[in-house]
Amino acid sequence: MSEILWEVLNHIEGFIYPNEVEVNWSVLIALYPYITGLVAGAFIVASLERVFKVEAVKPTYRLALLTALAFLLAAPLPLVAHLGHPERALEIMFTPHLTSAMAGFGFVYAWYLLIVLLLELGYDYRKDVVKWAQTATGFRGFLYRILTMGDYDISEETLKKDEKLVGIITVIGLPSAAFLHGYVGFIFGSVKANPWWSSPLMPIIFLFSAMVSGIALVLLIYMASTKLRGKEMDMECVDTLAGYLLYTYILDLGLEFMEIAHLLYTQEEGIDAILILINDKLFVSFIIIQIFFGTLIPITLLVLSKTGLFRAKVRKFFYISASLLTLIGVFAMRWNVVIGGQILSKTFRGYGYYIMPLFGPESLTLALAIMVLPFILLAIFVKLLPPWDEPPLWMKTERRYD
Amino acid sequence: MRKIHIRVAMVYITAAILFLIIRSFVVPPTFGEYDWYRGDSVREIMELPPQHANATVCKDCHSERYDLWSGGAHSTVSCESCHGPSYSHTKDPIIVSANVDNSREFCGLCHAQNPSRPADFPQIDMDTHGNGNLCVVCHNPHSPWVFGGE
Amino acid sequence: MITRRKFLKALGLLSATAAGVSAKTSRAEPTEYYDWSKHYYSFVVDSTKCIGCGRCVRACKLENEVPLEPFFFRTWVERYIWLKGEEEPYVDSPNGGFEGFPVIYDEKAIRKSYFVPKLCNQCDRPPCVQVCPVGATYKTEDGVVLVDEKYCIGCRYCIQACPYGARYLYPFNGPRKSRRGTADKCTWCYHRITKGLKPACVEACPVGARKFGDLKDPNDEIHKLLDENRISVLKPEQGTKPKVFYIGIDTEVR
Ligand code: HEC
Ligand code: HEC
Ligand code: HEC
Ligand code: HEC
Repeated sequence: MSEILWEVLNHIEGFIYPNEVEVNWSVLIALYPYITGLVAGAFIVASLERVFKVEAVKPTYRLALLTALAFLLAAPLPLVAHLGHPERALEIMFTPHLTSAMAGFGFVYAWYLLIVLLLELGYDYRKDVVKWAQTATGFRGFLYRILTMGDYDISEETLKKDEKLVGIITVIGLPSAAFLHGYVGFIFGSVKANPWWSSPLMPIIFLFSAMVSGIALVLLIYMASTKLRGKEMDMECVDTLAGYLLYTYILDLGLEFMEIAHLLYTQEEGIDAILILINDKLFVSFIIIQIFFGTLIPITLLVLSKTGLFRAKVRKFFYISASLLTLIGVFAMRWNVVIGGQILSKTFRGYGYYIMPLFGPESLTLALAIMVLPFILLAIFVKLLPPWDEPPLWMKTERRYD
Repeated sequence: MRKIHIRVAMVYITAAILFLIIRSFVVPPTFGEYDWYRGDSVREIMELPPQHANATVCKDCHSERYDLWSGGAHSTVSCESCHGPSYSHTKDPIIVSANVDNSREFCGLCHAQNPSRPADFPQIDMDTHGNGNLCVVCHNPHSPWVFGGE
Repeated sequence: MITRRKFLKALGLLSATAAGVSAKTSRAEPTEYYDWSKHYYSFVVDSTKCIGCGRCVRACKLENEVPLEPFFFRTWVERYIWLKGEEEPYVDSPNGGFEGFPVIYDEKAIRKSYFVPKLCNQCDRPPCVQVCPVGATYKTEDGVVLVDEKYCIGCRYCIQACPYGARYLYPFNGPRKSRRGTADKCTWCYHRITKGLKPACVEACPVGARKFGDLKDPNDEIHKLLDENRISVLKPEQGTKPKVFYIGIDTEVR
């Protein structure tokens, strides 16, 4: 660790407080809002079908929920891994200090995981789980039988009630998802000491970029999964999702623009430092990656797809590129907020420097490992609880007995 | 109520109660004694051992130097500013000895010419003043206008 | 065995948590020999006197087991230099001033220059305490902000929230084992001032540029300093209400 700090010392420009040499919130903290953003975004995609009755995206409903769950389970990992004392992490739930924006994390997280996601998934999957529990054997059968919680009642009537319940949970879940992530934005937006963070718009900007990234992720996972399973892609579904991606993108861009315009126009203390931050220190990650490749190009591709001039095959290509660029661009946004905010010294007279170690704690490899984990989880979930629309296993076996 | 609702509720309520029980064991007993923090922490911090004593303590054993010092131009400079933290020295003078640095650089820390220093502070040109001799050869460090060193 | 009372207390605490009030019990003094309700401390930095010798930085590091590497400071000294013909000052703090300040500009090129010692401002409205998620940093009754090294989880939100850069994360190779991986900052040498001693930096300062005093003691010389000088605080716009007052600094100092 010390060697890195000595190296950083050579890269510092201007004057920064001596304690600022160490960039305290590393790549892991950039990863954390990225992952919660994906959760919130994926959940909002799922609720499109439930709450807003967008029938076209139905094929992605369960997939989006499972994606949200997989990423939600990974969300605390970067946080805990970056703590100086991970073994004390639960203090945040045992003695939450209520004036702290961060103290809510444990409860917001628990609420969202236990009350929203698990219940929604549980009741939505109930019928299938009961069927699976009756047919599957071995470990899987055991698991399904636990999941039924001993209630095998799947009459028409109860299923209807379940349906209604899931609807209610989704309605509660929507603001919860918005809160889960808007709240992460507040953690940064409320730091008045840092002009690059301090902004009442921060939660909303985080929320919209979360939706953008979540939609892109679900879109991508859906396209990849149909390909992997050798199935026909539901073009209407993909087009609709891409449409929503475009609309949220435009809102996101608008908000981002407002934020920057406000900064540049009000010209408060520190504006000179911020200008250099944008034009020099963050030029590649902000202007080039986040704005150009991560926002403008995807929007262009999505608009092009909307024109109706392109065949399905081309549109697919556009969607894949747009989604990938979006996912990169949104991560760049998190990076620019988290790392950029710390590069900018609170003296407004200089700039720190961030060196990301390749191995060890708070390193690139750890970040990558944490990022891969949700995909592995998702693969397991998909195996255990197939989210596909076509007749599931139990139907096939049932038919055999017919 | 359906069986499933009751069971789900049971699981959650059990978890919540378990949480509260664990919490009551894990939270330190003095947490909240004054406010939202561990009361013992204040006492722990108060009990940290000091490293610096102060000049009046030194007087007990080094009265000669103390008297010289307190009447001289260095009377605003505490003994430990030059001799380093000496709390443990005062308790155990033979085992732990205080620092002594008689180098020119050391006096220069305070007296070297520097345009950022207040103009009325006595500063010297380190390259020429005293012809490169140790400062203590001429100045008594404890009362610098006393010449002839120790 | 968990007693019924303890359980009820836990329940009560939970509901209190939900209602948004923190459980406050009586505020007795922490030890017999020290009554913290009788003190309220304050610090005055007279920047016109500072000679930039760095003895305070050294004394602080030795007194408080602060790692000696140049990235961790409870207190440090900055040098401001306005060069002729330039608007903005040049600022530096080589190793926090630990080894003093080498001369870097010729006297003739300098318009104005002085040293500014920095330390934790022990704000009356401390943003670091506000953001601590677990209650590991707090303001005592006598106005000092402390960190509980046995309770801090090392999330570093307080470090981000401090507008003055007064906090740092105690490194994992630091000398004090129990403090590793937690936030650390100036305590005004709480272990000294509660014994009636001055903070180590005040003790070490050869020119009296650092003054420490008790506002609740009417005979303290700090009152004279505060009354007879024009004083300012750092970054007043942050609304933190610092209790470290500066004499003789420009607005460029922040
Ligand atoms: C309990 C009596 C006592 C007190 C109090 C005391 N000293 Fe000493 N000091 C001694 C003795 C005895 C020696 C000689 C030890 C030796 O020669 O190793 C000594 C030696 C020294 C030396 C010379 C060390 C050397 O290496 O030659 C210094 C400097 C010194 N003391 C500074 C201080 C300072 C500063 C204080 C006040 C904080 C102080 N002392 C308080 C007893 C004391
Ligand atoms: C300006 C710095 C300074 C201050 C202040 C100062 N000293 Fe010293 N002291 C020195 C230096 C330098 C020497 C070494 C003198 C020499 O080598 O001839 C010394 C030597 C000594 C010695 C003898 C050590 C020896 O090896 O001969 C003692 C004892 C001592 N000091 C005690 C004190 C006490 C007690 C005080 C406070 C009352 C004090 N000093 C304040 C700089 C200082
Ligand atoms: C920690 C800082 C410090 C160190 C180290 C220090 N001095 Fe001083 N010195 C002072 C202060 C403060 C004064 C008083 C200045 C004043 O009266 O304005 C002073 C005054 C003096 C004076 C009298 C100047 C005058 O115009 O009245 C002399 C001579 C002197 N010191 C010599 C020395 C020598 C020799 C050493 C090395 C042994 C030394 N000093 C080390 C801080 C220091
Ligand atoms: C050869 C003997 C000698 C040596 C060695 C010596 N000085 Fe001096 N110093 C003097 C004399 C004589 C004066 C008074 C005349 C003067 O101001 O030059 C003096 C004056 C001073 C003054 C007061 C200057 C002023 O303008 O008020 C300071 C400060 C000082 N010396 C510091 C030091 C320091 C620090 C060293 C070591 C780097 C040192 N001296 C070494 C002889 C010496």
